[in-house]
Amino acid sequence: MRIFNPSFGMAAAGPAKVTLQPVNWATDAIALISNSKPNARELLEGVRAMLGAHRPVDNIHFHAKNSASQPAPKELIEKVAKNYKAALLALGD
Amino acid sequence: MKDIADQEVIDIGDMDVEAFNEYANEQGWGDGMPLFVPTEAKVAKFVETVRGDNRPYPPVPPRQIVPTLQSLAANAVMAGCKPEYFPVVTAALRGVLDPDYNLHGTLATTHSCAPMVMVSGPIRHELNINCGTNCFGQGRQANATIGRALGLMLLNVAGAKPGEMDRSTQGNPAKFTFCFGENEEENPWTPYHVQRGFAPTDSVVTVMSGEGPHNLNDHGSTTGDGLLTTFAGGMSNPGSNTIYGKGPMFVIIGPEHAATLKRDGFTIESIREELWKRSRVHLSRVSRENLVTYETTGHKPDGDWLSIGRDPKDIHITVAGGPGKHSAFIPSFGGTTVACTRIAR
Repeated sequence: MRIFNPSFGMAAAGPAKVTLQPVNWATDAIALISNSKPNARELLEGVRAMLGAHRPVDNIHFHAKNSASQPAPKELIEKVAKNYKAALLALGD
Repeated sequence: MKDIADQEVIDIGDMDVEAFNEYANEQGWGDGMPLFVPTEAKVAKFVETVRGDNRPYPPVPPRQIVPTLQSLAANAVMAGCKPEYFPVVTAALRGVLDPDYNLHGTLATTHSCAPMVMVSGPIRHELNINCGTNCFGQGRQANATIGRALGLMLLNVAGAKPGEMDRSTQGNPAKFTFCFGENEEENPWTPYHVQRGFAPTDSVVTVMSGEGPHNLNDHGSTTGDGLLTTFAGGMSNPGSNTIYGKGPMFVIIGPEHAATLKRDGFTIESIREELWKRSRVHLSRVSRENLVTYETTGHKPDGDWLSIGRDPKDIHITVAGGPGKHSAFIPSFGGTTVACTRIAR
């Protein structure tokens, strides 16, 4: 007996591949991004404080999604991509 | 994606229904209830019913694969649909693929939301969809299997496997099926799909990522004003997602309550306005810790009150059900929309 596979589908065209640049964690700008749920910000504050023991933190900035339940807006993603060499995302829940 | 099954058609040999169910559950295709076998012949019958809709499907999140009509039909067959239900199921799928529906978020969330499917227009009676007594409950093949088919598509095509991509803390019985019809015949105002700009003769599917129906019992009130006090009290919930993740909600008014409201001069617009004002949550009912969270994420109270949506238009209203003094409140996930799709015929 032959059946149709209920999970079958064709792969969607993926986004353009980007070449990752090396990050200098001692000096480069870093974005700390919260998913806007409780404790995500606190976790990132801890990360920033720990980094501060080893490097300057004036170019390590906090960002957050507008809503925990919705994707990060395109503008935020573009801003982070343009201004930072690395990003750390905290998922509170 | 590496998890795409690469065979559209699978030869499963000489299996009976029980063996097929064992096999399907091993593949993770099931919702826990028995499944029908999606044979090539059955699937072909379903595909024939949607030839009037040639629009390609976008990639389905979170899995981001583009389904074929055959793979979609396989889910409807497994759910127990009749072939003529399939255009309703595919219209519902198109609805949840509206970007503002936020399918990825609604499937991956810890919230209990499930896709609510409401059917409007002539097709309700052609398919024997229950719009009256026990419309949210058991008893009709169309209600039971249309909602189930959409759920299986979200499991198998979208990839919303419980405990993996579907992270719901407690889930919801509505995830098995949640499909009903509007009771247009006892709606003293305007059917929902006409409110949304469709013709009365159109058949339309409306979807919202909602909780199950919350009962609004009022046997005592004999005025529209009294009913709205009861409705608003039932809607005013500090534990609702929409109190901070602002979004839509439905109030499904029972026919007897609707007749009372109409008699007392209420319109859909005035009901919305009254419910909006009366359902606000006083800050005395909100924990201090929650309030801090809301304020730091941009959801500041209005004086001493938190609203349960963005504005009165977030309260969507229609009529369904049969005799009795009950209505229902269906809150949503929050970050979602109410999407309507005309059924292609």
